[in-house]
Amino acid sequence: TSACPLGKFYCKNIGHAPSFLYSSRVNDGICGMICSRADCCDGSDEYDGKVKCPFTCHEAGKVAMESLKRKIEVYQEGVILRKVEIGLAKRAIARDKAELSGLKNEREVVEKVVHQLEGQVRKLEQEPQEKDDKMREARNEKVENEESGPDKNVDSQTEPMKASDVEKQGQAGESPSDQNEKDEHESSEGLSREELGRLVASRWTGKKSGEQVEETDPVKNDQEEGGPDAGYEESVADNAGRSSTAQYKIGVQDLKNSSDIATPSGKSWLDKIQETAQNFLQSVNLFSIPVANLDANKIRKEYNHYTAKLSDLESRISSLTEKLKFDFGKQNEFYLFYGRCFELKQDKYVYKVCPFRNATQEDGSSETQLG
Amino acid sequence: MKMKQVAFLFLIFLASQTVHSWKKDEFRACDQTPFCKRARFRKPGACTLIAHDVSISDGDLTAKLIPKAPHDQDQDQIKPLTLSVSVYQDGIMRLKIDEDPSLDPPKKRFQVADVVISEFETKKLWLQSASTEKINGDDGGLSSVVYLSDGYEAVLRHDPFEVYVREKADNRRVVSLNSHGLFDFEQLRVKKEDEDWEERFRGHTDTRPYGPQSISFDVSFYGSDFVYGIPEHASSFALKPTRGPGVEESEPFRLFNLDVFEYLHESPFGIYGSIPFMVSHGKSGQSSGFFWLNAAEMQIDVLAKGWDAEGGILMPTEQSRIDTFWMSEAGIVDTFFFVGPGPKDVVKQYVSVTGLPAMPQLFSTGYHQCRWNYRDEEDVENVDSKFDEHDIPYDVLWLDIEHTNGKRYFTWDKMLFPHPEEMQRKLAAKGRHMVTIVDPHIKRDESFHLHKDASQRGYYVKDATGKDYDGWCWPGSSSYPDMLNPEIRSWWAEKFSYDNYVGSTPSLYIWNDMNEPSVFNGPEVTMPRDALHLGGVEHRELHNAYGYYFHMATAEGLLKRGDGKDRPFVLSRAFFAGSQRYGAVWTGDNSADWDHLRVSVPMVLTLGLTGMTFSGADVGGFFGNPEPELLVRWYQLGAYYPFFRGHAHHDTKRREPWLFGYDIFNVHVNSTLFILMY
Repeated sequence: TSACPLGKFYCKNIGHAPSFLYSSRVNDGICGMICSRADCCDGSDEYDGKVKCPFTCHEAGKVAMESLKRKIEVYQEGVILRKVEIGLAKRAIARDKAELSGLKNEREVVEKVVHQLEGQVRKLEQEPQEKDDKMREARNEKVENEESGPDKNVDSQTEPMKASDVEKQGQAGESPSDQNEKDEHESSEGLSREELGRLVASRWTGKKSGEQVEETDPVKNDQEEGGPDAGYEESVADNAGRSSTAQYKIGVQDLKNSSDIATPSGKSWLDKIQETAQNFLQSVNLFSIPVANLDANKIRKEYNHYTAKLSDLESRISSLTEKLKFDFGKQNEFYLFYGRCFELKQDKYVYKVCPFRNATQEDGSSETQLG
Repeated sequence: MKMKQVAFLFLIFLASQTVHSWKKDEFRACDQTPFCKRARFRKPGACTLIAHDVSISDGDLTAKLIPKAPHDQDQDQIKPLTLSVSVYQDGIMRLKIDEDPSLDPPKKRFQVADVVISEFETKKLWLQSASTEKINGDDGGLSSVVYLSDGYEAVLRHDPFEVYVREKADNRRVVSLNSHGLFDFEQLRVKKEDEDWEERFRGHTDTRPYGPQSISFDVSFYGSDFVYGIPEHASSFALKPTRGPGVEESEPFRLFNLDVFEYLHESPFGIYGSIPFMVSHGKSGQSSGFFWLNAAEMQIDVLAKGWDAEGGILMPTEQSRIDTFWMSEAGIVDTFFFVGPGPKDVVKQYVSVTGLPAMPQLFSTGYHQCRWNYRDEEDVENVDSKFDEHDIPYDVLWLDIEHTNGKRYFTWDKMLFPHPEEMQRKLAAKGRHMVTIVDPHIKRDESFHLHKDASQRGYYVKDATGKDYDGWCWPGSSSYPDMLNPEIRSWWAEKFSYDNYVGSTPSLYIWNDMNEPSVFNGPEVTMPRDALHLGGVEHRELHNAYGYYFHMATAEGLLKRGDGKDRPFVLSRAFFAGSQRYGAVWTGDNSADWDHLRVSVPMVLTLGLTGMTFSGADVGGFFGNPEPELLVRWYQLGAYYPFFRGHAHHDTKRREPWLFGYDIFNVHVNSTLFILMY
């Protein structure tokens, strides 16, 4: 082995590609096999007579050639696919850009309408102030009652309410590990023998003791799993109405579906809004004297309607803008991958890759985020 | 002052941190263990036993141990104990003390079987006579002296009783027992109406049907400055004192085989294996040794100089000396005194009792690549080829528990390993081997042939009520074959034949894990002490040897498989004195941090000193992710472990050696250290 320059041994491998070999493979008593890069196919590395290696370069060459051909085919298919994707992406980008500019126009209009309505609403609110303080107080009380309502329900446990779920979720979110630690400590003496076994096993396996308990008791499992999950969804939905950031998150999450959200069907629709709004405002303005209660409600309703519309527009615009910010490759060939997911099942695991978002490994009930 | 407070708070913080990993309160401390607590309170000189009827019989020096002054109360409880001193070639004295079988004790106490090799018995020297001496400083009391070896004598002082080995020339003592009068032997009794013998610990009840039966005594090593041995502990090579002046507060060194989750890197706490063998060494260059063949829970105090200052017992002071205190929950006194005089002589004497290490197969001395788990055949093939691609030498690829069908050992997961024989053949074609895991817990599943067979034959360890003991381990509800029984060991060994272990080939070897035994829902994560083995032996009596018998049965299986022509390779986690005859051990579930890297050195050295020469620690650390430098350093150190294996927990990042790039691995490890080995 000392004869090898730079610690590498050269095999001619006539009929196949020549190769350099680690000197540790020379006269190691092991012959090269077909497809093995570890030894010479011409057997020249085993020259000390311990073993006699067959000459396998022709077979190896053939195998190498075939695998190379296969590789070329795959590449060729890939090139065609890529071209198709680029074409589709071009059209999709154009469509999305058009939509974006349309949406921006629309936003301008709706913003104006909202602004005007806001003025009306403010006026309305100043008037009754003088008129009837008591009524406002009553209304406030009512609101307070509504707010405290769910808590009472939690106490009596008549039905699961949002507030309780949010609370639960908050706790779970704060420090699940702390809680486990505590649980383990406090309760290990009261556990059944099976529960204790599972609990101790879970230290090595890394599965949370909660999961272990789930396995023992399917009924409990359903409750535990269903509870916090449902709570999570509800609380997000709840938040969505209050803050725009929450709304945005949902927008991204719902991207798959949102592409077919009612898209504006041209200018006529916009004009219509403008018209109806203006008509409405004018009709209200006609009466400069205190407006009847009926009209006040109408104005508020309209105001709410248009602010909701505006926030929908905002979220759609921001999600589109975000989308267009991504790098989709030199020729935007990956544009259509946005918002799509690909799944691969590998025995007990399901791998899910959502480009530009995340990748997960799912194992039955549990899900692991992959970096 | 302030600094001190801060430091103190920091220590408390550290202590509370460790609780999270090492569940300290799940394990019994000495003061929660009645026999240990009681023994530690004993005062020097408390022992009143004297040697009576001293004579030579059957080539031994024998005597009865009786209390000096007859007691008024409990007279019926204190029966004479039998004592015998035997002498063997090469300077070995064996001292046995047990209850007198002719006095009809409630039960025969367990004497550990199959550890002392049969050749040792042939080395016995038949004593013909003993001389009686009055030794200076013994207040005119008598001592019986017998020949031990050239230049050494064994001495039994009668009143108070004391046994020791001395150099003939200058009467210099070497090793002695009961010099401080701490000897105590709790005899088996019949339970009285008002007595409650049960012990409870964290929701587990030990029925203790035979009551307290512990033994304790002091052992002194003369001309000694340090003592070593008594693995397995994550601690320094020279054992630190655990009691006496200058020792804040310490547990004794515990010998109780346990599956400890995330063990500490510096603690006298007992972990996976136990070898109750201690070696002393002094600045004079002389060594001596002491071995207590006892498989029950043992606690050993190393006493700091001056520990007995108040005791008032005068010991010869001209020599430096280390005193130790040995306590065991059950069993008998079956002890071996080794005269040395050099450290190598002591180890030679010890292995002449317990056997030489098995000659390993060459491949097993190379590098082993393990992980919990290489998930399927493709993973195996890929890992194997990457070693070739990067020209990193390795010899063995390991499969952990996930390769089985639902943790039923001797089976394969058909999805992940559909062609186990072909997989092994591919490795074997390159001169490589495979190791699969086989643990002692057998899944209680009627459709599993092994369980069906074992339960029908009544081969499982029984619980205190006599039913098959049902514990919890990887497969869930599990039972454990009674490996104390030679018939069951032989049955187990058959399971490794190529016919029985479907999918095994001659290049497949075995890994025994969890054989402390680990029982997830048992007291201290092990089997209850009142579980029953062959012949009514309680688990408490043989606990530390359970893994030894399991290891033995597996190694015998591989020997049988190869018609006695192929040397077995079996790695075990639990061990006992004598395990060296059956294969390798490793230091269990360590962690990927520098402290565990450091402590692996004294741990492996201690194992080597106590006969377990084929040992190592998981390179890289089992729990956690090592930083690249730690991993490199660990490989560099690991190349010097006799048993060299990289292993990792399933939650860790992959860390096969090529994953850290050429510079890190090849330059630092491959090019220098592997070359030493290959």
